[in-house]
Amino acid sequence: MWRVRPAKLDDLQQILDIAGTQGARLSSTLPKTEQRLAERISHAQASLAAQAPKTPRRILLVLENTETGQIAGTAGIDSRAGNGEPFYNYRRDHLIHASHELGTSRRVEVLYPSHGLTDHTLLCAFSLRPELRETTAFELLSRARMLFIASHRDWFSSRMVVEIQGVQNEDGSVPFWDSLGRHFFNMDFETADQYSGQLSKTFIAELMPPNPIYVTLLSDAAQAAIGQPHRQTQANYELLQQEGFLPGNYLDIFDGGPVLEARTDGLRTLITSHPKTLHGSHDEHGETCLIAAGEGEHFRCLLTPMAETLTDDVKVPVSTWKGLEKSAGDRVRISPL
Amino acid sequence: MLLIRPLQENDLDALYAMAQNAGKGLTTLPADTELLQRKIDRARDSFSQRCAPEAGLYLFALEDTETGQAVGISGIEARVGLEEVFYNYRLSLTVNASRELGVHVRTPTLHLSNDMTDTTEICSLLLADNYKGGGNGLLLSRCRFMFLDEFRKHLSDKVFAEMRGVSDANGQSPLWDALGSKFFDMEFSQADRLSGLGNKSFIAELMPKYPIYLPMLPDSARAVIGRVHDNTLPALKMLEAEGFNFNGMVDIFDGGPVVEAFIHNIRSIRESVNRHAMVVSKPVDLDVPPEQRVMISNRSFRDFRVTTIPVDCIEPDTIRLPRDVADALRVESGDPVRLAPLKDQLRIPHRR
Repeated sequence: MWRVRPAKLDDLQQILDIAGTQGARLSSTLPKTEQRLAERISHAQASLAAQAPKTPRRILLVLENTETGQIAGTAGIDSRAGNGEPFYNYRRDHLIHASHELGTSRRVEVLYPSHGLTDHTLLCAFSLRPELRETTAFELLSRARMLFIASHRDWFSSRMVVEIQGVQNEDGSVPFWDSLGRHFFNMDFETADQYSGQLSKTFIAELMPPNPIYVTLLSDAAQAAIGQPHRQTQANYELLQQEGFLPGNYLDIFDGGPVLEARTDGLRTLITSHPKTLHGSHDEHGETCLIAAGEGEHFRCLLTPMAETLTDDVKVPVSTWKGLEKSAGDRVRISPL
Repeated sequence: MLLIRPLQENDLDALYAMAQNAGKGLTTLPADTELLQRKIDRARDSFSQRCAPEAGLYLFALEDTETGQAVGISGIEARVGLEEVFYNYRLSLTVNASRELGVHVRTPTLHLSNDMTDTTEICSLLLADNYKGGGNGLLLSRCRFMFLDEFRKHLSDKVFAEMRGVSDANGQSPLWDALGSKFFDMEFSQADRLSGLGNKSFIAELMPKYPIYLPMLPDSARAVIGRVHDNTLPALKMLEAEGFNFNGMVDIFDGGPVVEAFIHNIRSIRESVNRHAMVVSKPVDLDVPPEQRVMISNRSFRDFRVTTIPVDCIEPDTIRLPRDVADALRVESGDPVRLAPLKDQLRIPHRR
């Protein structure tokens, strides 16, 4: 059975393996070195225990096979994008350059450096083994985050964002980066991306060009990549749109990928999920839905066949109880697939 | 005799012919009768002080006294940017560094600037092809320094010149193709012409206002920033010999450099001396090579005139002038005149 739970230090090696797997990464990166990743996991565990509701928290969930203990994916939530520091994007905007006298008018596209999304809640660090991409485990891992948010609503802000990986060529080159960031950061895309996965983003403030960028001066390939998701993220992109996320005017500063935005309380999973009371069932059949329970480090989310009752109760197989580490009478939250 | 004098009403036809011949690239003098007429009117008002001398446009004609025809023109704009907005790009540097990552990146950046506003410009130099050589170009250009020297109280401390930038035989400019054309729906020549017509509001409306990071431009465009057209190299060399230097400003369309100098540092001005005219009846052989001639000007604002005279004519306190030269300069014996070298090699003997 696939189950989503908060990451532990024991998961370190398996998470490193996923991070190194070609094509597993679907959104912004986890650290690739053992030490940095260990810091990241410790930070995530501390986040779950923090008392003050407004503390910037960095949640990290993993997708685990309960039978084998295998970890097959990761999904993160930063309660405050930027984690107390500025969060960087480009805002895509237009200026009209018009000459009354010459009777001409031209729409000039400009990328403005922006911190406008700072402190919004950020979905991040999403990765999944490629062989699971077509399965329900994908939806489980992605939407478990929304159920986590629903269960800890006051930890998170009223607006959500998620950065989608942008266009990257087969040879690893990133057209948007090569036409823009490379000139200023003097490093390749992978290196910059790794640095940005770390805690401090001071280097972005130091190296990013301080002024707006005219799109027309970028290479054709870079212009074509603006706001375009990477092919591999297509399913993720669509799922997030079904959830209620929409592409807005913001872009990733490194690869030009789209940034999706949503109102937290308008997310489909938050609207359609309901708190219920857990009851047993011997029936292994029924409509499959997402079920989550527990707070903080005890949060568990899985897929279960379910029979609803007219009352507040929900009947699920006992195997589901075990997965949730709950028993009859406990409160759970369910949401249809 | 070749004589510098204020541009006059009847120079219009000659001026038009020269402007037409010069073709593209001379922004300040397009072949446009109406515009040239306006320039002549402005120059007339400036010399006659019908406008404030600080706002004048002083245009000089090089006249062949035998035909009475203007065969060259050059000018001084006392202040640029008084009525219209005067644009340049300032070539500067953006440095991004991260000590933590050991990265230190220098990015040459173009900033749109109006920094030359209120500065005196030397401009509009044009010489008919069949008069090129023999020091005529030098006279046409350097006569302006004599005027600057004489009337510097009306001018700014500094003077600058915009040098024509690189374009190919078809008038295509690499910088325009990479930058301007992305924002203006027109050809370089058309933009250049519109700008020359004195209407620069279209620049404000269409030009990108944010800085341009040079690494984002193609190599061909970056290579021409601050470089002059091959045809302009001699003019650049001449100004450099006078003490002019690139000041970091470039033309917004073709990237040609702006060179500038403090008026008191200009070599022709530092080396100029005063004498009194002494009209002589004995004939003087005026036909000597340019190396042996000096420029001589009267000291009149309204009717400023310059010509050249053999260096042999210089006496300790006076300068000997044949009658026709004195008449051309509108001076009589005893009138003060000023002398400056025409060629770089010559030193004028100072008064003992």
